[in-house]
Amino acid sequence: MKNLEELKEIRERVRKNLEMRTGDFAVKIVVCLGTCGIAAGARQTMNRLAELIAQSGRTDIIITTTGCAGFCEQEPMIKVQEKGKEPVTYGKVDTKAAEEIFNQHVLNGQIVQKYLFTKGE
Amino acid sequence: MKTIADHLFDILENSVNANANKIIVKLSYYNKIFSAQIIDNGVGTDLINITDPFVTSKKTRKVGLGLPLLKSTAEATGGFLKITPLKEKPGTCVEFKIDMSHIDARPFGDIPAVFTDALLSWPELNLEVIIIKSKKEKKILDTVKLKKELKIYNLSDIEILNYLKEEMRRELNEIGIDQQFGTI
Repeated sequence: MKNLEELKEIRERVRKNLEMRTGDFAVKIVVCLGTCGIAAGARQTMNRLAELIAQSGRTDIIITTTGCAGFCEQEPMIKVQEKGKEPVTYGKVDTKAAEEIFNQHVLNGQIVQKYLFTKGE
Repeated sequence: MKTIADHLFDILENSVNANANKIIVKLSYYNKIFSAQIIDNGVGTDLINITDPFVTSKKTRKVGLGLPLLKSTAEATGGFLKITPLKEKPGTCVEFKIDMSHIDARPFGDIPAVFTDALLSWPELNLEVIIIKSKKEKKILDTVKLKKELKIYNLSDIEILNYLKEEMRRELNEIGIDQQFGTI
């Protein structure tokens, strides 16, 4: 690949970041990516969250995905799991809602009531 | 599903759910016919009517909509959806064809983002993307090779993913696959 050199440059820049990301996490965000989530635009939500994490410079926030949670009408859904706390599930999380949840809950620990679906498992 | 990209991602998700750790995607676009072949090494399914919405291998509920939706999307344009188990080893091949000139065709959507989203969602997944260009196969993504050459185990950094996405976008545009209904 002719662009390998460019990619290597990027890698040098982000290597430390990548290595740190494999360690322990403070907040885990789980995005539901079943058929229902995909149809409702969960990939856009996931991408927005990934961008926000990158912008924040935090390496202790991670994103993972899961399948359909069984509440398809609430999609896109995300679960915010702060270490040592009860997980919080949000419904109808479009990109704008994702920004609010990221800034208030993920960064500052404040639950966003507007989009709250349920607390606990 | 609004776009073909959504359907493609949904199939990748099926594969990962079937414990696949390697997926090969082949895309071609010629004479307004889009075809895709997705080959995985997952456990597959022995269900016969898997494109029936009331047939599913899920234990949690009795409906599965991904494949039936794709079937109707493809067939609405005169295309098809075919699911075949691999002969020798475990794995499944999903194949579909869509006539993009048909009035009922869905737009492509962001096809390159499907693959980078997959890498973001499942960092352990080995993914190969191949396009057919001038009747020849051209690999536009090979995560095994990339990880080896870059000496990293994880490609799910947003800067790397964006770079790979734009690379793939350029290649896909060259064979006419854009966000809408194709240019060739």
